[in-house]
Amino acid sequence: MSSDAGSIPAASKIVINDREKLYKLRRGIPKLALAFSLVFLFLNVFSAPQSQPVLRISAQDYDNYSRVTIQSSQPLSSSIEQNDTFVFVKIRANTPFRIQRESFRSRFIKSVGWSQGSGSYTLTIKTEHENFSLDSFKVQNPPRLIIDIHPNKGQDPPIAETNRSGTNPQTADPECIVIDPGHGGLEAGAKGKFGTLEKDLTLAIGMKLAEIVRQTRASNVVLTRDRDVDVSLEDRSAIANNNKATVFISVHVNGSYRKGAAGPETYFLSKDATDEESRRLAFMENNSKELENNIQAEDEDLIKMILWDMAQTAYLKQSSQLAEDIQSELNLLWGTRNRGIKQAPFKVLTGVACPAVLIEVAFLSNPQEERKLLTEEYQRKIAEAIYEGLAKFLRENSH
Amino acid sequence: MDKKKLVILAALLLFLVVLVIIYLNLGGTAKPKPTQFISASQSESESEEQIESLTIILFFPSEHDSLLHREAREIIPESSLALQAKRVISELLNGSQRGFLSPIPPETRLRELYITKEGVAYVDFSREIMDKHLSGSSAEMSAIYSIVNSLSYNIKPIKKVFILIDGGEKKTLGGHIDLTSPFQPIYDIVAK
Repeated sequence: MSSDAGSIPAASKIVINDREKLYKLRRGIPKLALAFSLVFLFLNVFSAPQSQPVLRISAQDYDNYSRVTIQSSQPLSSSIEQNDTFVFVKIRANTPFRIQRESFRSRFIKSVGWSQGSGSYTLTIKTEHENFSLDSFKVQNPPRLIIDIHPNKGQDPPIAETNRSGTNPQTADPECIVIDPGHGGLEAGAKGKFGTLEKDLTLAIGMKLAEIVRQTRASNVVLTRDRDVDVSLEDRSAIANNNKATVFISVHVNGSYRKGAAGPETYFLSKDATDEESRRLAFMENNSKELENNIQAEDEDLIKMILWDMAQTAYLKQSSQLAEDIQSELNLLWGTRNRGIKQAPFKVLTGVACPAVLIEVAFLSNPQEERKLLTEEYQRKIAEAIYEGLAKFLRENSH
Repeated sequence: MDKKKLVILAALLLFLVVLVIIYLNLGGTAKPKPTQFISASQSESESEEQIESLTIILFFPSEHDSLLHREAREIIPESSLALQAKRVISELLNGSQRGFLSPIPPETRLRELYITKEGVAYVDFSREIMDKHLSGSSAEMSAIYSIVNSLSYNIKPIKKVFILIDGGEKKTLGGHIDLTSPFQPIYDIVAK
């Protein structure tokens, strides 16, 4: 809705009384965990009775390692053992915990299970390869045990192998275009008057776009989904980052309460970057002592992860250029005036570490546009227009 | 001697305090309220009307463009900021009286609203805001910013708005806009 880059809602610090602690929590662990902790906090604020202590287990992939986070409402006393493809984490418990496991998808971790012994719980992390090194450290507020699994060299995950095509990793990575057909599975997205579902259109257009890129360029093309399945928003950006994407394009179809809403729109992320950065810096300064105390190994990784979270802010300028290139092609196709480059805090774009846009190709809530979108011809034309914009951007940015 | 001095000092202080009180009282009564001269029975009904209604501005999307539009509404002031903020939201949930579009499903209830010292409003909606929501980026944007703008515009201490659903944080309303961070108002999407 906004086309102004100036006043943007910031993805920012959660401020309740315990500012720094919460902030640390926010930076230190994946967003899912944040979601849960917020729920928890919220419940506390409204004085819900405190029940059984909870042990939350989550896992997330980063660039070249996977991280398992075990979060508790009580201080954790634990020991870790590594054996073959297993990591056993024994957690002592005087009172029984309620275990909450979050679903995850990881390149290095096969599964995370748990069993209850007398006065303790044992978590079993099964890894994909037996050749890995382990890092673990504890963080407070709330108490968390963090276990990083680094696969050793020569065991690149399959995704990365197809990407690197055997070249020296020091040389520039080959061009990789990641196409993200929006929604999928249970999440149907917008619905048209004639029953058209957004998820079907985004897949059809996304596949056509992938086809065009494959035929025209010597680049890798990765689709975040190639059939009707649920893919979480985090996984979509993780797919882009794991493949070292050159460009990330998310394809959507718009929906509005306005019957007359029409035309394509291309979005890039809005984020109050300077505000956010300064807060992060302040956080780092304020907490450097605490970090030293709590983290024995590889502070660098933590800092890297903090930076990782603001990945897209570093690419906003390029993203806006990509948005412009694509939008002008779509305007030509739909005969719309040159408006429609917009900024919004789209969840799927926040963590993408490359130029990234989200395209609303047309309005499904507009019956005339729905009818057009249903035809193969228009789907192909849209894919071609997106490709033209993408190609222009890549020409402008080739070194 | 010391005692005397002390007594004088105390007397002086007392005198000063009295002066200040008198001054303040005079300041307060400098503009006599009209109700002062009305008989008791009248003044009762008068004082009810005396509670000045407050004009709030709500932001609604319109059929004609992609902007948010202002709609003024009179409310009776509430006793606290949080109550006032709740009132703003319930007026928003009631929908427009001037034919603008309602960006939030009418079944949606406001569960709770809480404002932190730092000016973050946590607004907790029932799950209809998600389940019954029309899917699409534009629909999500208009819902979110009608809430965020209406709250921030009318309740000045609110700097940011965090939207919760069913007591907890959700990622998005329908797969688009990030709800895991608080929002700041955007006024350049408002019609002039």
